[in-house]
Amino acid sequence: MSQSVARIGPPRRLAIDVPAAVNLIGTLGKFLGIAALFPVPFALWYGEPVWAFLAAGAITSGFGLLLERLTASSRGGVGLREGFLVVALTWLLAAGFAALPYVLSQNPQLGSPIDAYFEGMSGFTTTGASVASNLTDINRSLGIWRQFTQWLGGMGIIVLAIAVLPRLRVGGRQLMESELPGPEISQLSERIRSTARKLWFLYVGLTALQVLLLASVGWAGLDDEMTPYQALANSFSTMPTGGFSTLPRSAEGFSPISQWILALFMAIAGANFALMYLGIVRRRPRALMRDEEFRLYVALVLVASAALTAMLWGHGIAEGEEAVRAAVFQTVSIMTTTGLASADFALWPTVLLLALFALMFVGGSAGSTGGSIKVVRHLLLGKTLRREIDQTLSPEVVLPIRLNGAPVDERTVRAISAFVLLYVGAWVVGASIIAVDSAITGSGLGTLDALATSATALGNIGPAFGPAGPMGSFAGLGDVSKLTMIGLMWVGRLEIVPVIVLVTRHYWRL
Amino acid sequence: MKIFLIGAGQVGTTIVEALHEEHELTVLDNEMTRLQAISGRFDVATFEGDGTSRKDLAAAGVASADLIIACTSRDEVNLVAGMFARSETAGATTVIRTSNVEYVELWRGGQLDVDFVVSSELETAYAISRIIGVPAARQTDVFADGEVQVGEFDAEEGASPDVIGVPLRDATIPADSKVAAIIRDTETVLPGGDDVIRIGDRIVVIGSPTAAKTWSSLLWPEGGAVRDVVIFGAGRVGSAIARVLLDQGIRVRMVEASREQARRAAESLPEARVFNATGFDPDFLERERIGQSQAGIFAMRDDAKNQYAASIAQVHGIPFTIAIAHEAMSVAAFEQAGIDVSVNPRAVTAEEIVRFAHDPRMQQVAMLEGNRYEVLDVTTRESSRYIGMAFRDMPVHGSLIGAIVRNGHALFPHGDDVLQAGDRVIIFTEAANAPWVVEAL
Repeated sequence: MSQSVARIGPPRRLAIDVPAAVNLIGTLGKFLGIAALFPVPFALWYGEPVWAFLAAGAITSGFGLLLERLTASSRGGVGLREGFLVVALTWLLAAGFAALPYVLSQNPQLGSPIDAYFEGMSGFTTTGASVASNLTDINRSLGIWRQFTQWLGGMGIIVLAIAVLPRLRVGGRQLMESELPGPEISQLSERIRSTARKLWFLYVGLTALQVLLLASVGWAGLDDEMTPYQALANSFSTMPTGGFSTLPRSAEGFSPISQWILALFMAIAGANFALMYLGIVRRRPRALMRDEEFRLYVALVLVASAALTAMLWGHGIAEGEEAVRAAVFQTVSIMTTTGLASADFALWPTVLLLALFALMFVGGSAGSTGGSIKVVRHLLLGKTLRREIDQTLSPEVVLPIRLNGAPVDERTVRAISAFVLLYVGAWVVGASIIAVDSAITGSGLGTLDALATSATALGNIGPAFGPAGPMGSFAGLGDVSKLTMIGLMWVGRLEIVPVIVLVTRHYWRL
Repeated sequence: MKIFLIGAGQVGTTIVEALHEEHELTVLDNEMTRLQAISGRFDVATFEGDGTSRKDLAAAGVASADLIIACTSRDEVNLVAGMFARSETAGATTVIRTSNVEYVELWRGGQLDVDFVVSSELETAYAISRIIGVPAARQTDVFADGEVQVGEFDAEEGASPDVIGVPLRDATIPADSKVAAIIRDTETVLPGGDDVIRIGDRIVVIGSPTAAKTWSSLLWPEGGAVRDVVIFGAGRVGSAIARVLLDQGIRVRMVEASREQARRAAESLPEARVFNATGFDPDFLERERIGQSQAGIFAMRDDAKNQYAASIAQVHGIPFTIAIAHEAMSVAAFEQAGIDVSVNPRAVTAEEIVRFAHDPRMQQVAMLEGNRYEVLDVTTRESSRYIGMAFRDMPVHGSLIGAIVRNGHALFPHGDDVLQAGDRVIIFTEAANAPWVVEAL
């Protein structure tokens, strides 16, 4: 009898294998530190200090190695449950890593820990909201680091790790899917490693193309502002739908042709990468053209651009090509959650602000680098609502929700409704905290500004209205507001659910 | 011809019934009782064995057969038996029955190594779509790629006086059509110009599809074209019917009691409106205005339910009811219950299979009135003594030429027209006369 008691052992409390999760986070951190080498050549080239990047890389890799060593004895693999913890913590860690160079270089604007972490989180989550009010203060190597964090975060750190690292202890698709934006990535149904590689391949390819196009505009003398450095910095901001700019007036100073290129690539970044892979690399453009989400995405861009053009022209803010360009650029930028700006829309009349505000909740396509709710969720939610109304009249009617002709699993439909509710809930809670905090600290945010600030952080967009508009910054916000925004950016990037499950009892306890 | 039949169920028995007089049949089945029932009624060889066993097939003599028919109720058995039979015999034709439309598609794509695949579900669906097109008909069949239609109608109260109660030579018979037979009680008349159609008669008409529709509206003036049907039962049969009708642009609603089945039907038939309900729920029928449908098709598994649901639907106002009769007995019971048309999937399947057993010149055959009559589609030989003969001079012999297909076009011959070699002849005949007719042409 005593033997069998020994075999049963003491009661286990935890429902997840924390050491295994920490071990994987350690591995990811170990390799993530290498990314700090990227700005080093820039620092050397421009004669700027290098040590902050080297130290940040060493600290991150060292910390990762330490975590890995401490949990080296863990036997378990990373399953569905552990995956949520890994994703959630990795992104917190990554934001900290991004913040290290700002702190270590004691930058006057980003040097304080909260500001640095804000900027780091904003970068990795591709939000593009900044607490730097004077960008000329940030040197070129730190500037390119700031842009580069967006680019790394765009397609996903874990997706990248799966693509390039030798054998990660990753069990299923779940880990990657909880990081990839959107409800599903069924279009490339292969091994996750090859999927991850294809996505990154296309991502790198499109970024390179954009850099080349923008740089050519500069070389051709069509845009004096567009130096090779700017071409790279803005491409790092566009493809991940980030929104950081190295210029104080965002994209305003660029020539029309550069702005059109930026708008085009923002629109591309907001489309489904898996479908684009099929369309471009495999030469099956029909897969893209026939996709319901893609069609709705294009339709929304066109309709919103037309509406904005009419309003801009009507209010006498701009006319002709300038009005069209301003409308398209701002529409695409806000809708895809990029956040670059070619005009200071914070100065626009309220009706235009409301239009942009509505666009903040649209988002890009599933499987894009964009954030927010996403077009496919709107599409499916609309279909669900239509079904609900139909079923009120005919309770017995059986109406499967279809996407591209194929029935969508009812659990997915429910998950989408739940997501949208959670999203709206998170937005309202965030906006309330920010509104109350700004009233206390007197940071000058109005009600609409506070609502937009919460939406812009949760949707990983970037600019809000008022003082936090595209040409302004979030520097004036209180620490509570900044921390709230950090949380919203984090939750928004991971699409809420992987974070929410961490605070449920049944996640941790048997 | 030597025919080897695997499966002695309802389909097998119907096939044996149609073919036993002209051909040499061997029937293989794994149940002795079924074989005994068949050998008790017909003069055929029986063999107890397993259709999926190559050894049993060889022992039963499959190698010497000219035509192999696998028609058990199980798809897998039919497929395996068909494959084995194929490899055992070099030149024989293999026909297999399936209940899965997917196999029909595979076969059409050349992926199944058999000569013909016949699906009960599809044949039933086609039969129903023909009936829907000619709602007054009890049964219809199409020939010559749909150019010729044969319909069996009841002359009932309300039929147009243009065709009822007047000698046929004075009646306004729709163009391109011919009354092939008038069946009065148990007696059949191959009509001449003096004969009269009376209320209560059953008539067989051969004509163009347009003429068949005209006949339908003459005999049932308030019938009209069916644009809107409700199908009860969304299983394989119901779904196959829905697919065929939807393809013709008919609005289809489906009522299915099983939640899972309803979901599957809704997923595979996006154009249909599927309800998860029973056909017996008065609230549901009232709320969805099921009674407003022009036709109700009852395709549930259980004949008793089909009959009951059809009666309820009639009470709710559905004017035209078609029910699937899985049991042969149910056809008569449904008729008794006032259901307009019954379709027995097994009979339809057997009919489709039997046509492979006829003379190679024979393209198609339809059976009417419980196999008492057949409609044949025969190509005339050069050596036939009727070549060059005007139709008015031909002997009657309990059969009648309803249409000929010449150069791909259907003609509905008059007395002066002359038969040519190579004509395809659509001919109505008593079943007993069929071999003689084929021989003579």
